This record gives sequence, structure tokens and C-alpha cells, in this order.
Amino acid sequence: MSETKTHSIDISAMQRTQQPLRIEDEKICLSVEDLHLYYGEKEALKGIDMIIPEKKVTAFIGPSGCGKSTLLRCFNRMNDLVDSCRIDGKIRLHEQNIYEKGTDVAELRRRVGMVFQKPNPFPKSIYENVAYGLRIQGINKKRVIDETVEWALRSAALWDEVKDRLHESALGMSGGQQQRLVIARTVAVKPEVLLLDEPASALDPISTLKIEELIHELKEEFTIAIVTHNMQQAARVSDYTAFMYMGDMVEFGDTNSLFTNPTKQQTEDYITGRYG
Amino acid sequence: MTEFTSDHISQQFNAELETLRQHFLTMGGVVENQVADAIQSMLDSDGALAEDVKDKDATVNQLDGIIDEECTRILAKRQPAATDLRMILSIGKAVGELERIGDEAKKIARLTITLVEEGESPRGYVEINRIGQMVSRMVHDALDAYARLDVDAAIRVAKQDRNVDMEFKTAMRSLVTYMMEDPRSITRVINVIWVLRSLERIGDHAQHICQHLIYLVKGQDVRHVPVSQLSEEVSDKK
Repeated sequence: MSETKTHSIDISAMQRTQQPLRIEDEKICLSVEDLHLYYGEKEALKGIDMIIPEKKVTAFIGPSGCGKSTLLRCFNRMNDLVDSCRIDGKIRLHEQNIYEKGTDVAELRRRVGMVFQKPNPFPKSIYENVAYGLRIQGINKKRVIDETVEWALRSAALWDEVKDRLHESALGMSGGQQQRLVIARTVAVKPEVLLLDEPASALDPISTLKIEELIHELKEEFTIAIVTHNMQQAARVSDYTAFMYMGDMVEFGDTNSLFTNPTKQQTEDYITGRYG
Repeated sequence: MTEFTSDHISQQFNAELETLRQHFLTMGGVVENQVADAIQSMLDSDGALAEDVKDKDATVNQLDGIIDEECTRILAKRQPAATDLRMILSIGKAVGELERIGDEAKKIARLTITLVEEGESPRGYVEINRIGQMVSRMVHDALDAYARLDVDAAIRVAKQDRNVDMEFKTAMRSLVTYMMEDPRSITRVINVIWVLRSLERIGDHAQHICQHLIYLVKGQDVRHVPVSQLSEEVSDKK
């Protein structure tokens, strides 16, 4: 038979592909050091230490209220907008502590973009939605904007579906398309990190798979952190997974290992649906 | 790629399934050669070739582990459904059959080495040759059917197992006659019987691989369907 050649079988190459990823081998994009976060009196994050590796997908899973979205929001200081919120500890984006005084928060949020659960396109045309971020950065050259819009829409796997109706309202798109448009709008300003907070939970299964495939493609260029209630989704899309519970980071590691052989009993119970 | 390993929205999933399939077929190739070489080493009294067959067992075991691990990962990460699910289950089981075929080949190689060391006349080799050719062909055809997802070919291979069983019984009768005629040959003939027994088991495993393939393509469990009814049973559905 033609497909079964016995020579040139590289067993060690096959075995290498099964080696778990090691966080020590990764370039560090974001590092979290002893992060405590309080909403009023309540301690929502209880001393988190972790690394978000560069150009990899890191997923946060855990039951509702475990702090995963709160932690994600710390990465671009979205929690600043919550009145009673107080933060101790450090988060470094590359070497810079983003909670240092004098941090340009608008610039931080350009570098660390965010996509939410519900697609939130502006009530403008598809084109203007993507161009918006560029315009507020002061980019006005039509050629530059045209090129970036096309690049962003292609990056979000949306170009072929919308190229003939760029100037129609974004609100006429399906939910899945709107979500990809929001991702295009976010990548248009060339961020370093994409934070995705339940990006597919309002979408149908096929749109969900498209978003997941998109995430897989986007990690070529961006560091991605995703919060999801759907742990199967975390298993499918991520390289590293963090399991959080009651404001603690219970387990953080290579996704393949975490989902086939977690080290902590709590993780095992959660991913097998025994509590949570 | 086949219809089973392409067309998912997730390219990564396509790639994982295709890798799994390729690794399975690679392992099939190693085992197929192991069987052919084991028989050849016996017929030629070639101790060196027999050693080679024994050594290949380590490779087969490693592939067995790798493929199992791949199946586990895909199940954990992708929650496959329908054909995808059957493909993982089918390959998971077929790999076990391949591993056991490898073990039988290793047994034959060990017996070759024993027989070579004793260095006596090649009695029973006609039977080994005939049955050996049959089961080699079965293993080859079963894997070929698997590569092409060809159910008709799988049914043909499964039916072939009856012929092997018949040949095996015939061979046993004539070898028993040898032993009665010449009791001094008993030790040696028993070794030959062990070889035939291994060959017969290899035929069974090849048949099982075909059953796993039918499950993959048709979704029907035909493990307990008599071979004579296989064609009608399988053509009834889908």
C-alpha cells in the first residue's frame, strides 16, 4: 500500500509533538505579580501570580464569580471604571507596570484591546466601524485607512463576506459577523494583546467555530487571553489554561495536560462537571 | 486527506485527524512488514531477519502509545461527534489489533530462532508458507481498505478469515499425523503448530480491523455478525 512506508519513521519527532508546552520556554507578554483586587470590602482576586505568554492563547475557566473576567479586565485597566475597586500588586506589559502612575490608559487600551460577550458595533457603516480607531489616532490618509480596513477585515475572516457592502450599516449583519467585525475593529489599531471576554457565548455553534478558528489564526500575530464559560471551548482554542476558583488561581498550565490529566483535584472536579 | 479528515471549520481539527490517520497507517506499514519478515525468516531459517522482527516490536509499542495519546487528546479537546467520534474509537481499537499482530509476529520470530538453533528438517513449512501468504495478504488488504475507507474490500478481507481457519484445521490434522508417525518430531512440530496458531490469530486481528473500519464508515457494529451475513447486513443501511 502506498501510504504505509516503513522507512523514515521519525518516532522522536512524533513524540516531540506530544510534549506539553512549557511556560518557561515562552516569551513573556504580561506578567501578574501578587495581584489583589477588592470591590469595596470583598477581595475578588486573592494574590494572583501568573504569566501570559506572547503569541499564545491563554484561556481562563472557572465558575461564575471566580474572578476570571475581573482578572481579564485588569489587563487593560477596565476596572478603573468601577468606583469601589482597589488594586494591589503589579501587572507588567513587557517590562512596564501598567498600574504605575502616569500610565497613558488610552494608549494602554490601544495596546491591549478587548472584545466583549455581546457584539457592540457602532451604529455606523462596516467600513467606519473598522476605521474608527484609526481616525481617533489621527490617521486621515484614505489610502492608509483603506488598506488597514481591508487588512483588519481579512484578519477577522470577514473580508469576503462584506467586501461588496462595506458602506452598509454594521447593524444589518448577523451576530457572528458583528462579533468578527468587532474583532476587526480591535485589531485595526494593531494591539499587542487581545482580551476576549466570552466572545462566542451569544453566538450559534457554527459562528462559534468560526470565531474559534479565527482565534487560532490571530495568535500568529497577537497575544490572546480569553475568558469562557464553555470549558470545551477553552480546550479547543487555547495553548494554556488557567482554572480559577473563588479569586484564587487553582491551576495554570499547558491545556493538553490540564484537560487530560490535571494536577489538582479541584480542577479535575470542575472540568468533569462534578462541581462549580 | 479523506472526506473524514477535511472540511471542518477548524483547520486545526482537520490536521489533528489527518495526523492520527497517517500515524495509524504508518504503524500499519511497520506491522505489515513485521509479519512478512517473520514468515520469511521462518521459511529461510534466517535468524538475523528474525532478530530484526523482534527489534521492531519496540517501534510498534511506541507508535501504539503515541496514537493512543493522540486519540485521548482529540477526545478531551474536540468532543468529536458522529463520524469524527467513530473515527477516533475505530482507530483506537484498530491500533490495539495492530499491536497484537506485532506481538504474534514477534512470537513467530522467536520460534524461528529456536528452530534455527535446533537445525532440523523443515517439516510443516508448506503449511506455514500457505497460511502465511494468506494472512500477510489479509493484513495488507485490511490496511489498504482502511486507507481508502473501502467497506467492500473490508468485507472481502473479513470473509477471507474463514479460509484461513479451514487451512489451519487441515494443517493441524496433517501435523498430528506427522507426530504420530514419528514421535521424535513432536517437540519440533509443536513449535511449528505455535507458528501456525500465531498466523491464525493474525488473520483474526486483520478481520477485526475490517470490522472496526465498517463501524467507522457505516456506524454499524458488525463484530458479532456471522461473516456469511456480513454483506447483506452492511448493505442494508446507508
